[in-house]
Formats: sequence, structure tokens, C-alpha cells
Amino acid sequence: MTEKTEQVIFHPDFFKIPEDGSKPYLVESKCRGCGKLWFPKLPICPACLSETFDDTPMERVGKLYSYTVMYIPQPGLKAPLAIGYVDFSNGVRVGAQIDVLPEKIQIGMDLQVESGVIREDKTGKQTISYVFREVSEGGK
Amino acid sequence: MRDVYVVGVGMTDYYRKSPIPGADLGRKAILYALRDAGITPQQVQSVYQGEMPGLSGSICFGQRVACTMGMGGVSIMNVESACSSGALAVNLAMKDVANGVTDISMAVGVQNISAARTAGTAFSPDANDPEGIQGITMPGIYAMRAKRYMHEFGATPEDLAKVAVKNRRHAMNNPRSQFHEPITVEQIVNARSISDPLTLLMSCPNVDAGAAVILTTKEKAMQLGSKLVKILASEVTSGIFTNGFRDMTSMEITVRGSKEAYEIAGVGPEDIDMVECHDAFAINEHLYTEAMGFCGHGEAVEFIRSGGNDYGGKVVFSPRGGLMSCGHPTGCTGAAQVVEATWQLRNEAGAMQIPDCKVALTHVTGGGIYGLDNAVCTIHILSR
Repeated sequence: MTEKTEQVIFHPDFFKIPEDGSKPYLVESKCRGCGKLWFPKLPICPACLSETFDDTPMERVGKLYSYTVMYIPQPGLKAPLAIGYVDFSNGVRVGAQIDVLPEKIQIGMDLQVESGVIREDKTGKQTISYVFREVSEGGK
Repeated sequence: MRDVYVVGVGMTDYYRKSPIPGADLGRKAILYALRDAGITPQQVQSVYQGEMPGLSGSICFGQRVACTMGMGGVSIMNVESACSSGALAVNLAMKDVANGVTDISMAVGVQNISAARTAGTAFSPDANDPEGIQGITMPGIYAMRAKRYMHEFGATPEDLAKVAVKNRRHAMNNPRSQFHEPITVEQIVNARSISDPLTLLMSCPNVDAGAAVILTTKEKAMQLGSKLVKILASEVTSGIFTNGFRDMTSMEITVRGSKEAYEIAGVGPEDIDMVECHDAFAINEHLYTEAMGFCGHGEAVEFIRSGGNDYGGKVVFSPRGGLMSCGHPTGCTGAAQVVEATWQLRNEAGAMQIPDCKVALTHVTGGGIYGLDNAVCTIHILSR
């Protein structure tokens, strides 16, 4: 088996993995019509119905608002699977998998955006998206 | 707008695995409701069928059921918003009668989940949802609410278990429930974890059931000799989208929905004798006693520890055992709650009867959609 595993990056419009090897990040979309900030990017602003946005990289570190460790996850995902909501300084809350040992996870801890495999189907095709990990040196 | 009254109710048992197909659950519920009202199917002028789509094995499910029960030829509509589906059916039937479109309308809720889903899987937002693709489940969403609530207000796993113990005790008085063995706090906290901090015994079982409600005007209800049960409010609302910081310990859609329902009904929480709430998980009664105004934010821990939500307390939550112990037939639940409330208000609830029950509130939410507290919230307030 030398063949490369097939991988799909989920929503490259709001999650960027730079090709130069620098750290992955999420993208906020600021509505040009009303100035409201959205994540993930929507085609139409829910507040003013404008269709134009300015995209800006978000800070990579936020604070964990709440979480759970699922022992009965969705079919096809492996248990235990931790998932949580992280609050960022731009006022956006993001929900994603937490790649940290369950006993080390605590409400209020700093977590940072990384890329990871969030699911794998029966044929081995992997979906890559954002996950939260503990903050490493130079994370901010 | 005309006043609307419940004139007939019917319900099947709640089954872990129904011995009959979903369509027959609907037919039986309709038959019982028609008998209860003392009317013929030909007198029903519109029918609304609530069901979580496809799970009972048919498109146009309402027509499949109602047209074989003598109600063909009238307006029949299938309505869906997850767990609120059956309650939406009641709301639409109510509007027909209130607006003078019909004099008699029927709402049906049916779910035959066991025929459609594999046991041991969790309901989840779909994979098109940005949180759904990450693997979030409905138990997972409630578990995060529980975790935050416990963090902020000092509730313990034992506090959550106490709700499950109470609701099982209530279900033991309910001949329709499939759960008649008492459970202890110890058993509940030590049960298999579904989504930390929620264990299996802090989660509602999926069950199969059918329920039907027939609504009419005061004049017709009196002609039919029915014990009068009036719908004071039938409130449906949807979530408000945000991707900002939401307080997961305050159930925004229920806070707003119950406030609107109280206003329409002209009553307040102090007037409510019983509540059938969306107690899909053990944290929910903490969240909803607060959201509906029975106690202040963060005060439910003490309210529930002191039995404020039980017989002899301020208000009886889940007298039939709730979703926790009676079971959750999703698309049927909203209609089933109205049936149970009607029996209580008619003083026909047997061993479950709340003494002198005058005003009842039923509440069901539904749908895990990213950016929304819930997709939908439906509240009915009924009085005798």
C-alpha cells in the first residue's frame, strides 16, 4: 500500500492550511454592508442580506466555554471523542473536536486551532478540518 | 379569533419496539380520539400529521393514515420540525378552528423509530452542518449545557440523577410507560456514560407511539358533552441565529417562547399546576424550570433539591414520567403531551392525577442546528 490516503479538506473557504508550512487558521468574514462578523462564512449576511465580505485570519487561540466527551458518537466515528465550544477574542464561538486527553480538558483552558482528521469513511477517505489542541510555544 | 377546546384525545402505549407498523400506531390513536370525542371521521374537516420525516417509513404519511380512517377528501398536511412535529400539528389544527376555517380539526403525532433506526446510535445534526461534520450529537449538545451549568451553579451528577429518579417514580404510575422498575441515584450516576456528564439513565429512550387530539369550538364541545379543556395559548417560535457567545445555561428559545405563551394565555408561572417539558436529558428540568420562570437563573439546583418540581411542590414536572422515563417518540411527543395534559385537566389521569389540576403547560423543542439554541420551540397552555 504505497498509494496516498485520499483526503478532503472541509470548507477551505473558512479554514486555511498554508502551503508554506505555517500554522493553519480560521477565517472570519466581515460583512461590507453592516460590519457584522461571521464564522463560518455564509453566502448572505444574516443581519443585512449583503453578499460581500472581507475575509481576515482569526487569532488561533481561544478559551474553552464548554465541552463533552462522547462515548456514543455519530456512526462511523471512534469513541471516546471530545468536542467543545471555544470563544475567540473577536466574539465568535467555534465548535470542534478537541484533541486533548479527556482528563486534561477543563472549562476556561486555552486551546488553539490546528488541522486534524475529523472523520474517515469506510473506504479510508479522510476529512481534514480544524480541531482544538493545547497551546504550543509560539501558538499565538 | 374563536376560543378553541380539546374535545377528543387518544394515545397508544409507548413501545420500545412497536408490535404494529407506524401507520397502525396513527390509526389506533385516531380511533381512540374519535371515540373519546364521540364524533365520526366525516365530521373532521382538516388533519395535520406530525412525524419526523421518513422515520415511520412513508412519504405522505398523514394521508396514508387518515384516508384509511374515513377522513379522505379533506385537507391533510404533513408537518415536520424534529421533536416538535406533533406539537406543530396541534398548533395548525388550533389555527383552523380559531380562524373559523373549520369547526373540527385533528392533530396526529406518530413515530415508529425502532423500525427506522439502529439501537445505540445518537440523533445528530446532519453532516452539512459545520458542527454536524465535527461529530456533534444531540446528547453531546445537552452534555455541554450540563457541563457549563454544573460549572457555573454547582450542580452535581447526583442533582441530575435526582430528576431521573423522580421521573421514573412518576412513570411507575403510568400504565402506558414501558418503564416500571424504580431506579436509584447510585445506579444512574454509575450507568454507562453516553456523553459526559450524561449517563444512559440520564437520557431518554427512543420509543414508538401515536397520539391524536381533536379540537373544536366551545359551542361544539358543549354539544358533544365534553369536559371542557380550553387551549389558552399555542405558541410556536424558532431560534435566533448567532455565532457569537451564547449562554448555554439559559435556554433562549424557551425563555422567549414561554414569555410569549404566558402573555397570550393571560397566566403566569404561579398559575401553572403541571408541566410536560422536553426532558430528553436529566439536565433539562434544571434548564427549563428556570427558563419558564418557576425559579430564577441558577436557582433550579435548590428548587429541584427541595422537590419544587414534584407532587406537593410548586409545580409538577413530567407527571407521566416525561421523556426520561415514559420515552420519547420524537414526532409524536408534542401531541402526546397535550393528550396527557387533557387527562390531567379532566381529572382522568388515574394514579398520575395531580390534585385539583387547573392549568397545564406542555413544552417541546426540536432540532440541533448550528447557530441556533434549538430550531423550534412549541408551547401549549391549557386550562379546565
